[in-house]
Amino acid sequence: MRVLTHYLSFGKPRSLIGLWLGLSGLLIAIALLSLLYGAGDVGPSRAWQALQDLGAAASYDSEARFVIAELRAPRLWIGLVVGVALGVAGALLQAVTRNPLAEPGLLGVSAGAAFAVTLAILWGADTATLRVSVAQLGALGGCLCVLAAARLQGIGNDPVRLILAGAILSGLLHSLSSLILLYDQHTADEIRFWVVGSLAGRQLDDLVPLFPSLGVAALLTILLARPLAALALGEHVAIGLGHHPRVVRLLVIVVVALLVGGATAAAGPIAFVGLVVPFAARALAGPDIRRTLWLCLPLGPIVVVSADIVSRLVVPPSELPLGVLTALIGAPVLIGVVRGRRLPTL
Amino acid sequence: MTSPVDAPNAVRQDKYYLALPLGQRPPLRVIVDKRNLLANLLLLGLLILLAGVSLNTGSAASLSLPATLRALFGAGSPLDTFVIQELRLPRIVAGVVTGGAFALAGCLMQTVARNRLATPGIVGLDNGATAFAVASVVGAGISLAPPAMALTGAAVAAALTFGLTGRIGVRGYRFLVAGIGVGAVFGALTQLMLTRVSIDAANAAYPWTVGSLNARPDHAVLSLSLALLPALLAGIWLTRSLTVLRLSDAVAISLGIAAGRCRMVALSVAVILTGLAVAVAGPVGMVALIGPEFARQLSAKNTVPVVGATLAGAVVMVAADLLGRVILAPIEVPVGIVTALIGSPLLLWILLNPNARTAP
Repeated sequence: MRVLTHYLSFGKPRSLIGLWLGLSGLLIAIALLSLLYGAGDVGPSRAWQALQDLGAAASYDSEARFVIAELRAPRLWIGLVVGVALGVAGALLQAVTRNPLAEPGLLGVSAGAAFAVTLAILWGADTATLRVSVAQLGALGGCLCVLAAARLQGIGNDPVRLILAGAILSGLLHSLSSLILLYDQHTADEIRFWVVGSLAGRQLDDLVPLFPSLGVAALLTILLARPLAALALGEHVAIGLGHHPRVVRLLVIVVVALLVGGATAAAGPIAFVGLVVPFAARALAGPDIRRTLWLCLPLGPIVVVSADIVSRLVVPPSELPLGVLTALIGAPVLIGVVRGRRLPTL
Repeated sequence: MTSPVDAPNAVRQDKYYLALPLGQRPPLRVIVDKRNLLANLLLLGLLILLAGVSLNTGSAASLSLPATLRALFGAGSPLDTFVIQELRLPRIVAGVVTGGAFALAGCLMQTVARNRLATPGIVGLDNGATAFAVASVVGAGISLAPPAMALTGAAVAAALTFGLTGRIGVRGYRFLVAGIGVGAVFGALTQLMLTRVSIDAANAAYPWTVGSLNARPDHAVLSLSLALLPALLAGIWLTRSLTVLRLSDAVAISLGIAAGRCRMVALSVAVILTGLAVAVAGPVGMVALIGPEFARQLSAKNTVPVVGATLAGAVVMVAADLLGRVILAPIEVPVGIVTALIGSPLLLWILLNPNARTAP
């Protein structure tokens, strides 16, 4: 029990358990909505009926049953996993760079993953397992590129310049990917619907290869939460408390790469979730990284799954790519943060 | 040699030509820097050379140099004449005017913002113009002609970015990040429109989203050409004010420059040029970075190379288009991708190199 509270603490000043339970309830409600509503013919009432019949051996409405079990449920699961991964990755990246704007999509992490997957498909690797590890390697590469460049030139202290460097790197990788797609029609066909970022047409099997690496990431996150909270007090304080800042930073970057690479492999590059979710979590819970991480767990899926619901309902017969919707939500948040008189510091 | 310190009112004859002393009162003078004149002539020569090579290169028919020249002046075989006059020449003209317009807009905006990274593309103008142009093509909302819509889009994006971040040129890098946000919104809107319409309409709008000289509607080229000349003149007229404006506002105002007005005019010209150029070629925003950078390397250090940037932009655009047609032939790489591949490393270098000045 002592060990559990040591690592999984909600943080001291004000307990978050009530808030956390409330958000989790909201998430469950949204998840239910995501099963009930869709772009196709199966409306909420039929879906509800089918959902109640789901346990029964036979169902009189096999179409609704198929839609729910084979189409909407996998989407929901992938949305949940991707939401958690991106939200937590954003919070970790922001804590380790001490930069409230650090977002995996803006810093070139997602772009690195997408580029690596494009390369892998070009060279003929198209199994889902390989795709995950390739995406994670690419994410690590993108992340290290930006952070190393920033550290090398000492602009890591300027949040805004770091973001610019990331945005430029993303643009570069994006045009390299476009070049490959142009060059190779087979790759283009394989990847066209993946690069925009979407939960549509994913199967549960796509999720299985993610679990080992996400498990490692979860374990590392639990172990790293306390050292990160200490690092927020300053390098010297963290060393004084017996942590190793360099090791912690390196491990956090690895975790971010695992999470973002996994999410990107499952759903394509989805921007701005890693900015919006930690931002909301900090607004609710304050700056302590442990509290932020706890709140990111329900908030990430809430954002992703509700964005996914909206993306299905806006243009009824067809669907919007999820990446479009998250950009529409996230960009105003980015502008709002930059607009403020002082940038919030971490 | 008289130095400016000894005789403040004398123009150093060894470095400048005094040209056009139009005899009004007060005398209106255009001072031409020798080095800039040389640089501009060099760029012009380079442009003519590249245009010639580009005219002679293509997949449709391989022509010898004399045949190309004959066809250019209408004396060759009908097929050659068609290929040169109807296919390649308009493409080169479109490349020259769009490259010039993007680079001039970039040069003006960089100077006004006192930041080499502040090109229209980064600040979100390209994406705004693209979104509106695509809206016009796919028929969503008000449908004006694409150039007018692109112009509106660029203006809206500029208003958003600068309106949201307050006065330009005084708040460092922040308005750039706001611009990235504005650009992301418009990029998402473009994708939104492309997913909503039928596949044919989406294909019709596709060139606008990657940046290519393939589509180049004639009326858009015409309106851009008509706008480029007065814009260039306005740029030349503003050169002296802009040169001073690179220093602080206090210095500029005390030297008699109407800083606010000068900034407003320069920004408006940049917005108009970007909007019209996007209507021709789509978002090829990196030219707005590479062109002025190239021109600055060649020109005298103490001036704003307005003409040089325009010429250099045209050079870069024509060269990138040529490269895109040759490098992976028979596949044609859109000029937007070529310029992004060249421009992004340059942008990163400027951002990360501690010795590189960020002020233009």
